[in-house]
Amino acid sequence: MSWLHTLFALILLPAIAVGMIRILRGPTAADRMMTAQLFGTCGVAILLLLSAGMLNPVLIDIALVFALLAALATLTFIRRTWQGSGKNKHGYPLS
Amino acid sequence: MPNDNCLSTSHTLATLVRRSLPRFAIFSLLWYALAGSDALSWVIGVPAVLLATSLSLSLASSSRLNIRVAGLLHFIPFFLYQSFRGGIDVMHRALSFRQCLDPGLVAYTTLLPEGSARIFFVNTISLLPGTLSAELRGDQVTIHTLDQGLPVWANIQRLEYHVAALMGETGEGRENL
Amino acid sequence: MDILYHSGTLFIVIGVLFFLSGTVGLIRFPDIYTRLHALTKADNVGLGCVVCGLALQSGSWVLTVKLLLIWLLVLIASSASCHLIASSAMQKNIKPWTRP
Repeated sequence: MSWLHTLFALILLPAIAVGMIRILRGPTAADRMMTAQLFGTCGVAILLLLSAGMLNPVLIDIALVFALLAALATLTFIRRTWQGSGKNKHGYPLS
Repeated sequence: MPNDNCLSTSHTLATLVRRSLPRFAIFSLLWYALAGSDALSWVIGVPAVLLATSLSLSLASSSRLNIRVAGLLHFIPFFLYQSFRGGIDVMHRALSFRQCLDPGLVAYTTLLPEGSARIFFVNTISLLPGTLSAELRGDQVTIHTLDQGLPVWANIQRLEYHVAALMGETGEGRENL
Repeated sequence: MDILYHSGTLFIVIGVLFFLSGTVGLIRFPDIYTRLHALTKADNVGLGCVVCGLALQSGSWVLTVKLLLIWLLVLIASSASCHLIASSAMQKNIKPWTRP
């Protein structure tokens, strides 16, 4: 049971690693932040698979926290950093 | 007269119980799933569930969000099927040898009322095959599509219909089109 | 039980494939909007498949509820931040890539 899930988790690692190319290329900061979002979703999947592979239910709770934090990171970045640098061209608030 | 008063009191009590019981059940289930079967965890769990129920009730009375169960039962399979198709669509475009993208912007005017229904609609557009909600200004939604050959308009209308049924907003506008 | 386990494995394989193609899309697609398509759709469906597979294999409804909760959280979060990124890009007048 355990090795199969660990194998799947290992297959997902390159998906994250290759995503880092987007960090290098950009071109905008939001493109780079999308890789962080990829880390979030992919990381959750890896943690869930590892928890099945290593028979360790604690990892599921870590995945839960991870899912919450990844979302917050992206939202905060967009609102605070990216919109702040060139915002309100049209002068209306974001919906 | 006192009889009538008594009747209305018991009526409001029944309404309160009917409104709070499903919430109480859902929050208890969530607590059980999060904290596990340890009986001691309910020392914190019971107050937390009660607080969540009362908070949710007081918030629900101020907003107009009311989800229809029948609508939800129709919406979930529709949503799962559509987002699976969306995933297949992206997979096909990402992995195909030649780049088969023909992106463009589509404008759409939604008939959904302002508030939770519209926000929900805009967020679900991004999970449909080939569409992504790029901008929302009033009732004007700008949609980015991966392929202008896709039936974007028809897909969005179907989603709007489902969201309206889910939020209990049927009987408005769209049927006379 | 065996059938449940193997169908769960099948779901996980499909989910992993979605994840990989999402990453390929993130690298290959030409502009921020098309990359958002790849990221949001492929990864959410991928996570959904992985969650379904693990739930089928777990055979415990408590774990299933927890897994579905995680998926729901990720769905809400990523669809909201997807819309936020796209609308901020529109505000910054980033033009969508069109077929030459």
